[in-house]
Amino acid sequence: MVKSGPLIAALWLCGFASVAAAQATEKPVEPVAETPPEPAPEDRAPDADAEAEAVDALDAAAVEADIVAQELSDEAKDRLDASRESVVQIRGFFEGSDSSAFHGSGFAVDDGRRIVTNYHVVAQAVLFPRQYRLEYLASDGRTGPLQVLAIDVRNDLAIVAAEDLELPPLALRSEIPAQGERAWSIGYPLNLGLTITEGVANGLVENSIEQRIHYTGAINGGMSGGPALDRRGHVYGVNVSVVTGRQLVGFVVPAKHIAPLLARAKGPLVESLSAEQLRQRVTAQVLAYEAGVLEAPPDADGTQKVRGFTLPTKLSSYLECSSFDERSPHVRMRVETVSCQMPSRILAQPGVHVAGLSVQHRILQSAGLHPLQFERQVNDLATGPRRAGTPAHVAPFACRDALVSLDGFDARISTCVRQYRLFAGLYDFDVTVVGIDDPGEALVSRLNLQGVSFDIGRRTMERYLGALQWTR
Amino acid sequence: MDPVMLIEQVDPHGHAVQRHRLAGAGAECTIGRDLSCDIVVDDEHAAPRHALLTLLEDGRVNVRDLGGRNVTRVDGKRVPTDTGAILEQGEVIVGRTRLRVRTRHTPLGPERVFRRDFITRYRTPLAATGVAACMAFGAFLQWLDAPSSMLASVTKGALVALGVIALWSAGWALMTKLNRGSWNVRVHVTIASIAAAICAWGSWVAGLVAFAAQWSFLVKVGIVVVAGTALAALYGHLREATHYGRRVTLALAGVVTLVIGVIVWVATIGVDDSDVNRVALGPDVRLGAQRVVPNRDIADYLTEVDALRLAAGRERQKSLLDGPLADAD
Repeated sequence: MVKSGPLIAALWLCGFASVAAAQATEKPVEPVAETPPEPAPEDRAPDADAEAEAVDALDAAAVEADIVAQELSDEAKDRLDASRESVVQIRGFFEGSDSSAFHGSGFAVDDGRRIVTNYHVVAQAVLFPRQYRLEYLASDGRTGPLQVLAIDVRNDLAIVAAEDLELPPLALRSEIPAQGERAWSIGYPLNLGLTITEGVANGLVENSIEQRIHYTGAINGGMSGGPALDRRGHVYGVNVSVVTGRQLVGFVVPAKHIAPLLARAKGPLVESLSAEQLRQRVTAQVLAYEAGVLEAPPDADGTQKVRGFTLPTKLSSYLECSSFDERSPHVRMRVETVSCQMPSRILAQPGVHVAGLSVQHRILQSAGLHPLQFERQVNDLATGPRRAGTPAHVAPFACRDALVSLDGFDARISTCVRQYRLFAGLYDFDVTVVGIDDPGEALVSRLNLQGVSFDIGRRTMERYLGALQWTR
Repeated sequence: MDPVMLIEQVDPHGHAVQRHRLAGAGAECTIGRDLSCDIVVDDEHAAPRHALLTLLEDGRVNVRDLGGRNVTRVDGKRVPTDTGAILEQGEVIVGRTRLRVRTRHTPLGPERVFRRDFITRYRTPLAATGVAACMAFGAFLQWLDAPSSMLASVTKGALVALGVIALWSAGWALMTKLNRGSWNVRVHVTIASIAAAICAWGSWVAGLVAFAAQWSFLVKVGIVVVAGTALAALYGHLREATHYGRRVTLALAGVVTLVIGVIVWVATIGVDDSDVNRVALGPDVRLGAQRVVPNRDIADYLTEVDALRLAAGRERQKSLLDGPLADAD
């Protein structure tokens, strides 16, 4: 569980302006660098509110890392001084508002007229071009409007530029830093001003579909899009996300993905494309990603055998599975679960993660329940947890159910499909299979696809149903 | 035959509060507040001597107004002061007092056979059966959940069912007592418990049939049956507890059913009909032996799933019409 957790639980570092702003106002207004060392969390009054403590602990970690960086080495100071002028804060404003709706960081590359940031930093401005405008804030206090030139949804990157802005570019390093190499991350966390944090690069994340470098150091909301630097001051990646509720587990997009994007960054996207076309472009990038990831042919036969059942597990070769079994002390029943999900999804819009695939099989065995009682338990379990989705992002489900003969057993199959409001080409599939052929044994299986094309969803569903088998 | 007339003073519900019977042509009856009148009415809108009723030879009645400040009316029509009015039967209104007049000309209806209705006749066994059925359902629901402390849960389920029936019936019994003077507890318990039992057990059986025959529409039929049963029960309660006529009772029961239906609908489904996370899974799955129709072919089912592309598209269009995107083109 923990193994497949990090990226799924990762917090994308932007689009949370309100949260970041709220946190910033709770803190002292003085610049963090000048704040005297805060007492460690355990030294604090025990009556402190637990939630505040958790937030403070995170902040304290960041501040501590900052201070440690300054005291122990001047390298951080050198890194920051060398790149200070190249890093800008990127802010998004809602219509005519003067206060920012979201913010992140970016840095100059190439000829110094192109700025690299994360797609998720500028996503709102790309998807709602008439509602949001982008501005940069340079280290010398200059501000001006920004244009989006190119986006890479798959790698969460974007190139932006301003007409009048030319900054000293940072050099890119395309090879991945060795594990344990010293590294620094720069950005504008929580609207607190330019900040550098020191840490260690831990190589590529093992179970990620897209390449991500694991950075053990503080990254906070607002640092998204900021440069991740190596000892020579070269950019080895772009700060992208962090695991919430854990300590200093951050992720960085390798710099080698920047060059192809720069080649595509010809002119302002928003001026040349309508809102609908921009959304289609995002959809097209998501679909291109899915074609390679969700339909990748499985290495092995992709099934797992449990108690006479053959269960499809590796519907995509990237799926990671775990199995566990529980025997409820209250209900006389044993539930054996095999559950598989993608190690990562991609962000199409703040709050909307797509290209998700998960499958969960539960084999139920009655331990002395009456058949009516058993039926009741099976149907309760099939209703399952509430589906996740908000009316702002998805339309309601359309469903079909039928009793169908599968390989070796009869099952009720209920398929529900819904479309995304913003992305016409993306669908959610929710397939529930329930079979009780034997009074003491049943299968409740669920396939879930998030933000996929209808054809991929339909084909995956067919493969899934075709692979289910029950031999007694 | 001697002419005869019967004068009854009636209350607003039509019940006679005093009677006066006169026989023989020329018999007279004065009506008014004065104690010398033959029919004394306690009505501040009546004159001391308000009206005079005279029995004629042909059996009809002559009504004369004796000249009070308020007129006398016969069946709603004003009685001319000079000539008076002639009637065979009808209603004479003096002030605000209503008097029903009958003579030999009043037709007699056929004799009806006295029959107590079914519920009243069998109220004791019916009430016992209904309550038992409801308690059994409460216990059954608890049993289905296979709780760890079976006896306690089952007892709790039965008692909750009993409590609900008791509270509901007590409310109606009190209403009956206030309106009619008697409690009629067993009749109300019968109506409430039988209706509840039909709804509860009916929906359980409907679930079985829906799976066996693969009729998803049975769920909708079930809703209609439950609504119909609720309407019938409310009608029965109202008939028992009030004096309203059939039409008024039916209308009242209909309105109350609608109101309860809306409340239940809002509580269970919610006002927001476009809940994006609602899935329709179909009838509950039962053991294979409980099925009577053959399975669908997987290929046919997948073809049906293809139709979901259009259906989901329609849902999206509807959703965009209901709530357009922030900056729709």
